[in-house]
Amino acid sequence: MEAAVHINNLEFRYGKDNVLEKATAAFPANRFSVLLGANGSGKSTLFRLIAGLLKNYSGHIYLHGKESAALTYKYRSTLMGFLPQFHSAVFPYSVEEIMLTGRTAFSRFSVRNSDRQLLEKVLKKLDINHLKHNTFTKLSGGEQQMVMVGRLLMQGPRIILMDEPTNHLDVYYQQYLMHQLKEYSASGHTVIAIMHNPTLAYQYADNIYFMHEKTVSGNNHASVPDTAMLEKIYGTSFLDVRQGDTTTVLPARLS
Amino acid sequence: MNRKLAHIIVYGLPLPVMLASLFIGPTGHITLPDFLSLFYKKLTATSFLATEAEQYQSMANIIFNIRLPRVLLTFLIGAALSTSGSVLQALFRNPLVDSYVLGISSGAAFGAAFAINYAILPVGIAAFIGGALAVLCTFWVAGSKQQASIVSIVLSGMIVSGLFTAFLAIVQYISNPYKLQVIVQWTMGNLHTASWTEVQQTWLPVLIPLVLVFLLRWRLNLLSLGDDAAKAVGVNPMPDKLILIGCATLMTATTVAAAGIISFYGLFLPHIVRMLLGADNVKTIPGNIFLGGVFLLIIDNLARALFVFEIPVGIITIILGGSFFVYLMRKQKLNWN
Repeated sequence: MEAAVHINNLEFRYGKDNVLEKATAAFPANRFSVLLGANGSGKSTLFRLIAGLLKNYSGHIYLHGKESAALTYKYRSTLMGFLPQFHSAVFPYSVEEIMLTGRTAFSRFSVRNSDRQLLEKVLKKLDINHLKHNTFTKLSGGEQQMVMVGRLLMQGPRIILMDEPTNHLDVYYQQYLMHQLKEYSASGHTVIAIMHNPTLAYQYADNIYFMHEKTVSGNNHASVPDTAMLEKIYGTSFLDVRQGDTTTVLPARLS
Repeated sequence: MNRKLAHIIVYGLPLPVMLASLFIGPTGHITLPDFLSLFYKKLTATSFLATEAEQYQSMANIIFNIRLPRVLLTFLIGAALSTSGSVLQALFRNPLVDSYVLGISSGAAFGAAFAINYAILPVGIAAFIGGALAVLCTFWVAGSKQQASIVSIVLSGMIVSGLFTAFLAIVQYISNPYKLQVIVQWTMGNLHTASWTEVQQTWLPVLIPLVLVFLLRWRLNLLSLGDDAAKAVGVNPMPDKLILIGCATLMTATTVAAAGIISFYGLFLPHIVRMLLGADNVKTIPGNIFLGGVFLLIIDNLARALFVFEIPVGIITIILGGSFFVYLMRKQKLNWN
């Protein structure tokens, strides 16, 4: 299967601290992959490298077979979008205005009618139509998160990287967003997300990867939870819960 | 506020205020009806007496050679300062900056004073170099990282501004008395020396950046979300930022070369425009151009009409801007994150 993102012997350090050592992995195209890992294991750094926000790495990053460092911004904008972990807007933009900024790479100097039509579609798809005219800075964390996801869907790149997409979301929107991401990947897009919730990840993802000991492992088909691996990376025990022919994984209570 | 009313204020005011400004001033007794009736008489040429002709001549002279250039220059300067303030606030993601806070004005003033004293470079160009130098310094002192906080940028701006003010003082100190007088008069931020020469030197280096900023105004929305937010959706923020900071610096330096330092104006006007029109830069940039121009004209008219002596406009903008910010801070309308 074609790899949307392929990293090969990737190494990166912040000052003296090695964050990644010989990390090699291939994330398949048109699938929903989730990267799990403990706090501070380097997941966000890996994503920032793949998204092109961090430089000075050694090794290779290929996006659909092309060396990432050699891509122009223009080409990259059709290929890759990124949802950072934190968002901050200083000025009181409306949700509509924030989401339309996702089109800046394409509609260079002003918003087009087609952008506005797309906006309506994305608002409906994410079930946030009611927020359209609200002020972004006054929204709750979860609402802001959905808007930023929407901004990325406005860009509509082939690969979407998301750093904790379900951050701040209530249970309904967690399930709703994961379902939408799964559908989005089925429509010919690659979605790769960092998550902190193995339960949710195993419910929806096609492939699960683990960030552990400064490298990436996995590519397990997600229908079978790898409880042993989860216990190794998080240092806590997990339970398999079988319900019909699906298996859910839950963290066990510490006693 | 009602958006319709806001639009009327922003786009409806400029023309009437500019017209009215032609008939306000210390010379007095020039009213629009008087002028029009004389003008009409002159055209129809029935019984146009010699005294009337003389009266018309002096009126026309005051209106077209003294007041009109001043009105145009004031409008240009107001639009330039308020637009560059708005651009800088968006780029630095900081509602508390303008070209004065970032040190651009002081840098430009130093450059201009240097040029007046040593006559190596044209004043306008020296002002631009000084302003650009200052904004680079501020960037550098603040740590140049995108995460530079609101407070650290304001602080480094203050430091850089202080440094260039000191350099300016040195230039003043070692310049001869004749040149000193020129420098001091002009740093106070005055519009009363406005003439067609200033308008000629100012309109192009203000208009070109204004047009560029106007064209790029939608992109400011994205740029104001930060570098990462721009790169995340596939836009390289650097070229836009360089062009826009260059525009803001050129506009500021031009106003400084023409009328000295007019502080705080670019700081509070964009806030007023945002209150009227919302945060979307597609609307605020034209708003800053029009309201920025007309509001400075109103301030200048008040400065001319209210007192027997003329107060430099830079002093009034500091008083207005200062009180406006006290109000904002007390009302906690500023986010100090």
